[in-house]
Amino acid sequence: MTHDARHRKADRAALLSGLAWTAPWWLGFLLLMAGPLVATLYLSFCDYSLLEPPAFVGVENYVTLVRDENVHKVLWNTLIYAAISVPLMTALAVGLAILVNQPIRGQAFFRAAIFVPTIVPLVAAGIVWMWLLNPESGLVNETLKAIGISRPPLWLESPQWAMTTLIGVSLWFVGTPMVIYLAGLQEIPETLYEAARLDGASAWGRFWHVTLPGLSPVILFNVVVGLINAWQVFALPFVMWRTRPGPDRAAYFYTTYLFDNAFTYLKMGYASALAWVQLLIILTLTGLVFWLSRRSVHYVGR
Amino acid sequence: MKLPLWLKALVLVAPALALVAFGPRGQTEIPAGRVVVTYWEKWTLDEGRAIKTIVSRFNETVGRDKGVWVNYTALGDVDKRMLIATAGGDPPDIAGLSDRFVPQYADQDALLPLDNMMAEHGIDAGAFKPIWLDICRYRGKLYALPSTPFTIALFYNRAHFRAAGLDPDRPPQTTAEFTEYAVKLTRFETGGAKAAGRDDRIVQLGFTPSPSMLGWWHWVWPGFFGGRLWDGERFHIDDEPGRAAYEWLMDYRNRVGNRAVVQFEGQGSVIESAQNPFLAGRLSMVFQGPWFTKWAMRYAPELDYGVAPFPSSDPARKHVLASCDVFVIPRSAKHPREAMMFLSYLMSQPVLEELNREHGKVSPFRSPLPSFYEGHPNPHVRIFDEMATSADCFGYPQMPTWGEAWTETLFMTENTLRGVRPPADEVRDAQLRVDAIVAQYDRAAARRKARQ
Repeated sequence: MTHDARHRKADRAALLSGLAWTAPWWLGFLLLMAGPLVATLYLSFCDYSLLEPPAFVGVENYVTLVRDENVHKVLWNTLIYAAISVPLMTALAVGLAILVNQPIRGQAFFRAAIFVPTIVPLVAAGIVWMWLLNPESGLVNETLKAIGISRPPLWLESPQWAMTTLIGVSLWFVGTPMVIYLAGLQEIPETLYEAARLDGASAWGRFWHVTLPGLSPVILFNVVVGLINAWQVFALPFVMWRTRPGPDRAAYFYTTYLFDNAFTYLKMGYASALAWVQLLIILTLTGLVFWLSRRSVHYVGR
Repeated sequence: MKLPLWLKALVLVAPALALVAFGPRGQTEIPAGRVVVTYWEKWTLDEGRAIKTIVSRFNETVGRDKGVWVNYTALGDVDKRMLIATAGGDPPDIAGLSDRFVPQYADQDALLPLDNMMAEHGIDAGAFKPIWLDICRYRGKLYALPSTPFTIALFYNRAHFRAAGLDPDRPPQTTAEFTEYAVKLTRFETGGAKAAGRDDRIVQLGFTPSPSMLGWWHWVWPGFFGGRLWDGERFHIDDEPGRAAYEWLMDYRNRVGNRAVVQFEGQGSVIESAQNPFLAGRLSMVFQGPWFTKWAMRYAPELDYGVAPFPSSDPARKHVLASCDVFVIPRSAKHPREAMMFLSYLMSQPVLEELNREHGKVSPFRSPLPSFYEGHPNPHVRIFDEMATSADCFGYPQMPTWGEAWTETLFMTENTLRGVRPPADEVRDAQLRVDAIVAQYDRAAARRKARQ
């Protein structure tokens, strides 16, 4: 057997082994994801209320979607939320990861303290934040009053503050990306820092020319995941604005509207169209992020 | 220490085997030869116990004689589950829903019409107060039977009335008078009935319709000005009663200072607790149902409160919101006849009144039995019961697109209460949006009809 043939055989064996180990996921994906995905594509061209067979209506759902004022509002809200929360979360998580990567006393405590909030379920966190932001007795406004701000914001009640509040509360979960960045930081070879120091690079220079490029694949991963999560934001606004839309629909997001159409109004066809548009938006944005990052992401060994 | 493979397998498998052998049993033993009627309901705790008692009694008496066994299951989101089960072709034989779902489900042919079956099983429609069967009808057909009906009343704090110089035995008689009362009942931190400065805050609020604070029926207010949101064909909110209602809501708020009211509402409320703002003495008047009495007894037994019909704009009219939990038989139920046997048992006056007494609700019958009031846990039940006899009683708008109209009116109410835009603008836009929703639904319904 030639070297190439042996290589091919080993590759095939590795592939088969990999497929076998991931078979449960593939099976789940085909049955629970791919099937419904194809079904929703068909349903998005139908009038379907669950109770009667779907009736083909062509592109009517998509035409309605383009004209629907609620879609405009939730798209705008979701876009603003994603555009602000993702970069903010990235910057904060990278900053915190660098801080807790320093060899300081209590390092483990700080790492744990930042990560612990992420294990609190979203619903519980939402309720706790509602208490903290309570305009009458919440800790946040009481603190603001104590430092001289006599008329602190109505965080949840005011249309002007609702988005800021949600973005702020979402940063509570910075621990998850921070831990991933921390792992990424530890993968950057120390020799690169030593070389930079020998070349006289300042702390900022080392961050800009060593840390950031070394961390770039992890940043790309977190930005993509963050973008997907931001476009699917649901639980926090659903819990924190119990009356759903929030003031001036400022807390009404794309997935909430999709949920309402599917499970409250029983407009499954329209909800499917909304879901497909959401998928296309996420795919486009993800593609855009990959395209924009092609020159700024550096992989070790390439 | 390395464990042998058989021991590892045993450790993994043993709990599963133990669960199978000794675990909980979901089903009661069903006597042989009975037709099993599955009944899904939302009631748990005390309410669940009351219906279970009746189900057991039926199974041991009428059910035994007729060969029927009712299998009761309490579920959350029973409306959605019933819908999905119906779509999947395996619905329960009976489901307990809230009345607001009936038009939507009936319009999509998910429910069996009950008019004929009701007559066949000897249920006398004339025995009920008309409003309770009206609520169960859609486009002239009966799609549900009333289970636990209720009207919504004004609860007011008598001690607050006295402190504000109001007669606690004379609740407000008109909406205009209601506003005057609400202003007098509002108290700020600095002691006045209006904000003394920008930072003054409310410690006692006269009234709030806020959905975040016991205002569960954000769409109801035009009703007290003579408006009815749905006439069978068209939605009406941008009309005189609609505009008057939302102007009226804002009149009180603007008089005491809307920002302070919004801030007060922002504290939210844990409804079934001593923190409930009415029970805690921070809110003087609320629009609530008979269950509120039970909470008052549990969480504020010393509270001195009164119950009265909510005032209307015209003192000659007595507009009353009536609502009801209902029983339905889904379209593809496997045992509709047997389900109806159980429902006819439930519809007998002593049984249905027993259920409603245990639930603290009113009697759906024209002439309640004396035993209904004796031992009824709600001392104000006669007031709620009498309200249901008003000629101006109204229920949820019986429109198939109520879910969307509900959301749109919620947007409108939220914006109005926060002073985002003037009420007239909000009402006009809500009308346009709901009109578009109804038109779209009508087009789809026409298409469905054409296909059949």
